Amino acid sequence: MASAYLSMGEAHRRITDFLNRFSDAVSSQDAKSLCLIFSISSNSSFLLSLSDALITFQDASRVMRQTDRYSQYADILLPLFRALHSYRLKNLVESYQAFEKAANAFTQEFRNWESAWALEALYVIAYETRILAERADRELASNGKTPEKLKGAGSFLMKVFGVLAGKGSKRVGALYVTCQLFKIYFKLGTVHLCKSVTRSIETARIFDFEEFPLRDKVTYMYYTGRLEVYNENFSAADHKLSYALSHCNPRKERNIRMILKYLIPVKLSIGILPKTSLLEKYNLTEYNNIVLALRRGDLRLLQGALQEHEDQSGVYLVLEKLELQVYQRLLKKIYIFQKQKDPNKAHQIKLDLIVRALKWLEIDMDVDEVECVMSILIYKNLIKGYFAHKSKVVVLSKQDPFPRLTGKAINS
Amino acid sequence: MATEQPKPATVDVKMDLFEDDDEFEEFDIDQEWESKKEGKEATQQWEDDWDDDDVNDDFSLQLKRELESNTEKK
Repeated sequence: MASAYLSMGEAHRRITDFLNRFSDAVSSQDAKSLCLIFSISSNSSFLLSLSDALITFQDASRVMRQTDRYSQYADILLPLFRALHSYRLKNLVESYQAFEKAANAFTQEFRNWESAWALEALYVIAYETRILAERADRELASNGKTPEKLKGAGSFLMKVFGVLAGKGSKRVGALYVTCQLFKIYFKLGTVHLCKSVTRSIETARIFDFEEFPLRDKVTYMYYTGRLEVYNENFSAADHKLSYALSHCNPRKERNIRMILKYLIPVKLSIGILPKTSLLEKYNLTEYNNIVLALRRGDLRLLQGALQEHEDQSGVYLVLEKLELQVYQRLLKKIYIFQKQKDPNKAHQIKLDLIVRALKWLEIDMDVDEVECVMSILIYKNLIKGYFAHKSKVVVLSKQDPFPRLTGKAINS
Repeated sequence: MATEQPKPATVDVKMDLFEDDDEFEEFDIDQEWESKKEGKEATQQWEDDWDDDDVNDDFSLQLKRELESNTEKK
């Protein structure tokens, strides 16, 4: 970190250069330059050379006050200098606090500007706010203190969202900030807070969702899709995650993999299987056995595979529900065997036979337990038929005894 | 009265859902790409008619053998 000797004159020059750059960017509405100015965590050589100058030349505020051209932006630039200085010295909590002040002052300016020319700079500010808050929280946690900055970043970004979410040309930026908020809420486990932003995005008649930038739509659909998984709305989850999948930048393989990680269990739950090639391409082979279990009707394989997923409860709750489909498949196989032997008797399946098939799979269930599972299958419309209690036989409907799900969720 | 049961730890489960590191990577702000064209590849890799009547795989054949041998023993 120790930099080469920096003369006071050189430090002064760098600081005035920076101040000029900022005020030129604002007066010429050059958002790209502002992006560089606010990208604290990028460690760009431009910002590093400035923070070296700030360390040498301690009284930057005096330089700023000397000229009206700079001093009108002192509310933004003074805390920004402090944020940069602290970031360079690795005081991440101080850096975050100062950055939030600068960001807040910039947002006030942005609110007063009629056009949305500085939107990209506001994106950078929203991103930096989140990243700096995460680092500050790590610092707090490692010092045995309560991490609270990310929560604060969430409150601040809600304010930024409010500045954008109204009518007019600035609204196109609201989805970017929404996505930053999602990342915060998912990290903090406070996903119920997503609702207030999604409501504003989805119910607005004044702005069509399709008009938002593609990258934000993809991110938004990934996170809201996960929320639908969490709330067990599988057809909505399918719609949102499929949208994210088909619109995602194909070069972002990690993002595609994350979308698929949630989409695959959702698809399975509505009776649609991924091809093996898809699992292999995105290294999702942990789903291989689950898919195989569904194809086979292999309950033992399913149970083993579920155990491997137990610690990933994000998808576990969905996968757990596949059991009924595997029972359906097993029963269908028994039915097909019987049909091969004697088509006239095929639609009557003795519970005994099912008990034996399960025993072969090392699953110990007695006739009463199997009867119970069969009545659930009938109730959920995975089997059409009825139950002859006295003779311990499932009597299958002659028409379509095993209705396919093909895209619909199991009745609950 | 039944003795008091220890509380099952179901409350934690829901929290875990969001602890895994599935944070979506940032797309560059000025990055653009053709939507759908290449993405289609991934969307076409699903099967919804897999639930066929084919029972000639190893698993099915073993199951069949098992069920038939048991029937004969009876």
